[in-house]
Amino acid sequence: MSDDTSPNGRPTEAAEDQPDAGIAGLDQVAPPEAANNAVASPDEYAPAPEIAPGAGAGPDERAPAPETTPEAVAGPDERAPVAETPPAEGAAPKKGARRAASSAAASGKTSRAGSRKNATAPAADTPKPGRARTGGRAKQAPPAALEAASPATQGAPAGAAEEGLDVPVGETKTAPSPTASWFDVPVTGAAPAPGVAPTAAPATSFWSERPIELATPPSAGSLYEASNAERAAGPADTRFEFEVEVRNNVAESVAGEVSEMQNMAAGLLRLVGENMRRMTDQQVERVNQILRNIDLKDYLDPDFWKGIGMVLRYQIDEQVGFIKRRLNGEYSTDPFGMDPEVIAVVRPFLRFMYRTWWRIKAEGLEHVPATGRALLVANHSGVLPWDGAMIAAAVAEDHPAQNDRIVRSLHLHWFSTLPFVAPTLAAMGQVPGLPENAIRLLQNDELVCVFPEGLKGVGKLYKDRYKLARFGRGGFVQAALRARSPIVPVAVVGAEEIYPMLGNAQPIARLLGMPYFPITPFFPWLGIFGVIPLPTRWSITFCEPLPTDTYDPAEADDPLTVLGLTELVRERIQATIDAKLAERKMVF
Amino acid sequence: MTRVFINGIDGLLGARVAELISRDREARIIGLGRARPPAPVGRAEWFAARLSGKQFVELLRAEAIEVVVHLDFAGAERPAEDREQAVQQNVIGSMELFGACAAAGVRRVVLLSHVGVYGASALNPSMITEERPIALATLSGLLRDFAEVEQFAIDFVARRPMLQVVPLRLASLIGGWSPMVAYLTNPGPPMLVGFDPRIQLLGLDDAAEGFARAALSSVAGPFNLASDDVLRLSQAIRLAGQQPAPLLEPVVELALALGNQAILGHWPFGPSFLRYSCVVDTQRAKCELGWAPTRSAAELIQMLRANGRLVEDRAESEAALREFLARRS
Repeated sequence: MSDDTSPNGRPTEAAEDQPDAGIAGLDQVAPPEAANNAVASPDEYAPAPEIAPGAGAGPDERAPAPETTPEAVAGPDERAPVAETPPAEGAAPKKGARRAASSAAASGKTSRAGSRKNATAPAADTPKPGRARTGGRAKQAPPAALEAASPATQGAPAGAAEEGLDVPVGETKTAPSPTASWFDVPVTGAAPAPGVAPTAAPATSFWSERPIELATPPSAGSLYEASNAERAAGPADTRFEFEVEVRNNVAESVAGEVSEMQNMAAGLLRLVGENMRRMTDQQVERVNQILRNIDLKDYLDPDFWKGIGMVLRYQIDEQVGFIKRRLNGEYSTDPFGMDPEVIAVVRPFLRFMYRTWWRIKAEGLEHVPATGRALLVANHSGVLPWDGAMIAAAVAEDHPAQNDRIVRSLHLHWFSTLPFVAPTLAAMGQVPGLPENAIRLLQNDELVCVFPEGLKGVGKLYKDRYKLARFGRGGFVQAALRARSPIVPVAVVGAEEIYPMLGNAQPIARLLGMPYFPITPFFPWLGIFGVIPLPTRWSITFCEPLPTDTYDPAEADDPLTVLGLTELVRERIQATIDAKLAERKMVF
Repeated sequence: MTRVFINGIDGLLGARVAELISRDREARIIGLGRARPPAPVGRAEWFAARLSGKQFVELLRAEAIEVVVHLDFAGAERPAEDREQAVQQNVIGSMELFGACAAAGVRRVVLLSHVGVYGASALNPSMITEERPIALATLSGLLRDFAEVEQFAIDFVARRPMLQVVPLRLASLIGGWSPMVAYLTNPGPPMLVGFDPRIQLLGLDDAAEGFARAALSSVAGPFNLASDDVLRLSQAIRLAGQQPAPLLEPVVELALALGNQAILGHWPFGPSFLRYSCVVDTQRAKCELGWAPTRSAAELIQMLRANGRLVEDRAESEAALREFLARRS
């Protein structure tokens, strides 16, 4: 992890300056973050505050919105005190006080975020809630950066917005009260967000992700390094225009498809941004050279993609550098070969797949214990075992405890025979699926994920989707009974469609020594592009745990108990899948 | 009083075991080697010879030996010149010794072995316990000798309840010469492209401690001894200051099929050990022998790198100290 971020102390001071300077709110949009932090959210592992249980209830619970206010510059850990400042100063209006209180409440939940300690680019941080809850709770996600970028919306009636009306552009022009505290902005600002139809939320988050670009006109030049002064100099009316533009955009995108596109682009930008954090100043400068005169919302511009390509190339450079650093062999793995550094490297990508590509809605994560052993049992689907990676991502990203628990998936031992695959899987914490390994991991109080369907599940044809295959011989139940570990059934919906497997070319599979050779509409016809999974919309449901401590471990040898429990778990997963399928409106 | 016979006191490990057992006032130690012990042996009385089976019986009877520590394996602590001779010494010699032990009424044999006897396979658990059977058929070279001797010993004592055998399955030793040290210190240690097995190492002192404890206790059965941390092979090579030389697996297999055994350089085990990990659980030794490794694998490799060969080369330190003291007086 890079340590190039500024120390924690500095943002605090910046934040404490806010109440005085805060009246001239425009100046504060530009956070004094380090140049290359602007895009990357250094605390990307920090939980979005909304994820905390209970944080997503009433309108007041939109407290996390303050992170888009100038004080968010202070980094997540500083949010609470800053939010409380206005009442103390007596300068903030009532709403501010109310908000401050709720944000103080929220700050408790974000305290872990604070411990992540890097100076935060609030811009990049904000969209997370937006996209995190894209599915169901998108409404609670305040893409308030949008509003924060423009004080113009202050006049927007919060009530009206909450009733689901988009704020008309004309209205946004009203009354940017120059004396209004910035702390106030998010309250009214956050309000319009729910007004935007859920589909629009991603779009909003796209914009909120980059308020800096939006706030600074292209003329302000570099995205990542424009100095504070430069940004402050941005004329208020330009910002105002941006606001209008953004609003228009949001209004447009309510209409559907476009917003999906924008969501995707936003996610891609975020992925790129996270990886940019690893770039050196020099590299950032070169990317800036390319992007300098491009309006970043124009992601159809070839130069835009050129810039992204550049960033990706630097990312590869960075990975090479990372490998070089490891050439001394100075890293450590656990006895199973798990390498936390490697996990940190792939995590932004998995987060991208989780949040943006599949827009996964994870439910029932509270059923996954924050500490201690548990056996997650999931249905398997999707030709390539992406579902395992996404269950791990769900626990890492959205678990209420936010303690970065790593899910140890058990994989078919066949994968251990494959060059490159075997060491990679081991480094990522996956373990060959042997009973001894399962029991040992559980006894080490790990979170273990198994797919009892195995190959029969992951390689099932499209026509058989969501019909659970046989659950092996109940080995997972035996392991759970021996280790006295609760069983958490997990239902994954959406993974069946990522590669619609129309046929299985057995002869080729036999020839290549593979368990199956999928024929999909895109593979093998499009070659490597056929491997790109379809961006379906997923939901992952963690069901209530089945306790096994009422059983004697010796009952693991009783086939009736084992098979009975196996069937019980299978039925529960199937029922959850069926319920989720009925709820689902469309695949994408 | 425990009377211990150490077969193979001419290696660093044997000498160290003798020294450690000497700490027990009750123990009497007889050592046998083919040459002088390379390090202090404590109170052990030793002589250099090559004994036949009958002579073993005579010695064991005359000294009323109760415990035999059998460390005399060619290729384990110094390079074996000739494979045929090594098998003769390792397998046939061990069989003779076991026969002599049974004839002389020895109570207990502590046997040197290697964790590699479990074999390397995708079907092995990630951490192997002592219950795992020996994978004799897949092994070659020194590992095969170890496995054969162990198998023979287990079958042998099954019919002789008076005799106990305690195989100690050690991870690759670091300290003195060992096949793994040869592999790590020669330039360009070979690896297979796309594979990076996990390995464990064991410090010589920790191994000797294990033998001393096993010799003086009365628990039976095999024990795994290995460092607590696990390294990837490439990591170990890099920590040792080398660059791995990746080989394509089909090329390796072709070369091996054509009889070019040198393709794997100094890699002490078969090609399967370059593909799959062989990592053991040492819980049993910790519980039943009260043994615990004092050095981690990473530490051991750092030591190996720091002074070219080894820090634990006690003979040299001892000689240097003696010489210094002699000069002072």
